[in-house]
Amino acid sequence: MIKNSGKKRTKSPGKKELAQVSVCCGTGCTAQGSREVLAQFRKLLSGDSQAEAASCLMTGCHGFCEQGPLVVIRDNDKNILYQKVKVEHVEEIVRKTILGGEIIRDLLYQDPRTKRRIIEEEEVPFYKYQKRLIFGNNGKIDPTKIGDYIKLGGYKPLKKALAGAGDTIIEEIKKSGLRGRGGAGFPTGKKWESCKNSKFSSTKYIICNGDEGDPGCFQDRSILEGNPHLVIEGMIIGGYAVGAKEGYIYVRAEYPLAVKHLEIALKQARENGFLGRNILNSGFNFNIKIARGSGAFVCGESSALMASVEGRVGEPRAKHIHATDRGLWNKPTVLNNVKTWAAVPLIIKNGAKWFSSIGTETSKGTMIFSLVGKVINTGLVEVPMGITLRDLIFKIGGGIPGNRKFKAVQTGGPSGGCLPEECLDLPVDYEALADAGSMMGSGGMVVMDETACMVDVARYFVDFLVDESCGKCSSCREGLKQMLAVLNRICSGEGREGDLELLEDLCDVVKNASLCGLGTSAPNPVLSTLKYFRDEYEAHIRDRRCPAGVCKNLISYEIIEENCVGCGACRKVCPVEAISGETKKPHVIDLKICVKCGQCLEACKFQAVLKK
Amino acid sequence: MIKPLKNKKKSGAVLIVGGGIAGIQAGLDLANAGFKVYLVEESPVIGGDMSRLDKTFPTNDCSMCILSPKLVEVGRHRNIELITLGEFKELNGEPGNFKALVRRHARYVDIDRCTGCGDCLEKCPTRYRPRFEVREEAIILTGAEEELVKNLIGTYGKSPTALMRILQEVNAELRYLPENIIHYLAVEFSVPVSVLYRIATFYTAFSLTPRGRHTVSVCTGTACHIKGAPLLVDELKRELGIDVGETTEDLNFSLETVRCLGCCGLAPVVKIEERIYGGVKPGEIPKILKDYRGD
Repeated sequence: MIKNSGKKRTKSPGKKELAQVSVCCGTGCTAQGSREVLAQFRKLLSGDSQAEAASCLMTGCHGFCEQGPLVVIRDNDKNILYQKVKVEHVEEIVRKTILGGEIIRDLLYQDPRTKRRIIEEEEVPFYKYQKRLIFGNNGKIDPTKIGDYIKLGGYKPLKKALAGAGDTIIEEIKKSGLRGRGGAGFPTGKKWESCKNSKFSSTKYIICNGDEGDPGCFQDRSILEGNPHLVIEGMIIGGYAVGAKEGYIYVRAEYPLAVKHLEIALKQARENGFLGRNILNSGFNFNIKIARGSGAFVCGESSALMASVEGRVGEPRAKHIHATDRGLWNKPTVLNNVKTWAAVPLIIKNGAKWFSSIGTETSKGTMIFSLVGKVINTGLVEVPMGITLRDLIFKIGGGIPGNRKFKAVQTGGPSGGCLPEECLDLPVDYEALADAGSMMGSGGMVVMDETACMVDVARYFVDFLVDESCGKCSSCREGLKQMLAVLNRICSGEGREGDLELLEDLCDVVKNASLCGLGTSAPNPVLSTLKYFRDEYEAHIRDRRCPAGVCKNLISYEIIEENCVGCGACRKVCPVEAISGETKKPHVIDLKICVKCGQCLEACKFQAVLKK
Repeated sequence: MIKPLKNKKKSGAVLIVGGGIAGIQAGLDLANAGFKVYLVEESPVIGGDMSRLDKTFPTNDCSMCILSPKLVEVGRHRNIELITLGEFKELNGEPGNFKALVRRHARYVDIDRCTGCGDCLEKCPTRYRPRFEVREEAIILTGAEEELVKNLIGTYGKSPTALMRILQEVNAELRYLPENIIHYLAVEFSVPVSVLYRIATFYTAFSLTPRGRHTVSVCTGTACHIKGAPLLVDELKRELGIDVGETTEDLNFSLETVRCLGCCGLAPVVKIEERIYGGVKPGEIPKILKDYRGD
């Protein structure tokens, strides 16, 4: 019932559909209280007089986590986006917007630069430059209701696929140019074909890799939580194409909501005849089970994942024989990433030609990135392959907050690399990123500004990998440990001449002598930071200085006497009582007690605390 | 200490009792230093316990990779005389000039003619007779534990995949994997206990010690790291008085770091039980913990 200013209504008033309030209940928004907001909407809209006004929809992640909780009100062709909605705003939204057709300006998104308020979801720059093929329906579907998915054309591609032969599907996928979205970028159609043609066994398996262990990535989680049927449909089509009867979805232990939604979705799919025996009367039988991870990063690697599904310790094996010949339980297996499976129904629906028209020469379709770190609009973005990093970070991401300078962007998770400003005009595709010393990975994109110390970042990733190395190959297990020791030494101000060469040597060995993807790509963060930010390493070693002011041993806090008004704010927040001074007189920090937590710097309103 | 007699001639030979890794290494060192070494071992072979281990502390090196070159070296060293199946009986004489009595048990194999082909081993029907007495220990479960485990086996079955699931459920229910349940499951699933321990120590989700009622997890994913997660970890350590991976004495809190909770938009993130706190500043920690301190 929102007034359509000027525009003609598309439907006659009598038949007009209800306005729809969709509340994002992805993990990000839930943490900020979106479930309470949803409950409040349900309560207010269930009354007699207002029951007709609008329906409520609990949806998965919309992607714009920074501004959560997000509420989108869909009425006719208008999608009003309200952001940072709190429980106390709900009453006002119902009264003014839903019943009165009035827009509440304070809840609209405000462009930080132009200060303009934006009404429609599609007009917000964060969404405007995206191409949301896989992700688009997340905001329109209740993930726990199969009806919502079917209403938007869901499971039609499956029908279409089951009408034809398996080979035509594989041919279609091959023509589309779809490549594995897990990072390595192996052509999906080719993988399916070799599994189908494998002579080793007629029993075949399908696996969906949802072990999204890369820190800084959450797109798989959002798809599984927000639109589980899309993945399930893709897997059934894949199963039909290669002749498998059973599939597994491997989900990380840290994603309980994804498991819950998948369980509901699988049950509903079974009830509706999309899973189980004789699917849609085609004579094809297929079932999907969920396997839960137990917290091991290396299980994202295909052979380790299969070992984990089998109930063993997740250690990778050498892949002279591919998983498409001997995979799960030594049977031919197709393992693809969540995003790859999610792309399959779209390709079947719209055709290979349509899919291959998006993207670059070698990388087709769209890619979902989780754009996080020091960027104004953090969240999930889906963009066509080939977009430049600059567009991604500055147009969609809105640039760096606080007028600070861009320093680097880290792509591809812990095994990716850090790219500096001069690489910003690179197109995002598999080859270009690899050439620059990074990788596509599963789509993590962490932006760093000048306050990030690149040595510390490299140290952080190596520390992560030391923890997560399964310990099978000594080059990875011991090499990373030594690399960490050298990096720790540099960060604590005890770096020596020759350390950088030593690091490069170690990188070379780890890269060449390890078995799986974890080891062979583990040196990337170190090598790329050494390549682009060598001066920072040298500052740590030669001048005993951390230019970004991160490495604790190399910085100290001090109060500037002239600026300090003696308000005592820093004294109150200091957790170790290192700050003393009388009220209205300059305070001092006792450096012997100071733990360098930085709380005083944040508390001071007079720029009197100095970090150096 | 007994002093060696001055006048008598020293023998220049050493007898080592026990052909384990310690005996082997000592023998090799002495033999290389020029002593004649008699290595007495009770069992038919040398190598001892180390030959049964997969990895060795603290380097996790493969134990056979360390041991087997030494076995070969002992076998071919001219200064070492191996006395296997030997029982050390008595020792006479004095330092520098002992006389030892070693009884050698029958091998029933003419060692000079044996080529080590192993055919007899294949043929022997009593090959699998255990050399050690098997210690049968009763596995005692409390009523509640037994019910829990039996229910889980009923739900998930007895496949290898189910084993992992059951371990996860037990860990979630009891907040750790008690030793008796691990042993019980090993029997139920007919797998060695070591396999279960290997799984339990490989995956971070499992704990072998009781965890606190509230698990405080600090996300140390990349986004949280550059937005100040290390400072949160420091503050929590100070506030709770425990290190990462530890549990407070009253079993109220366990502190953990987790690599990415997938809420990077809200970085830095702290999760207590299932509740996620986004954009946390170190100063807010005491306030957040307050809600969980009471019970």
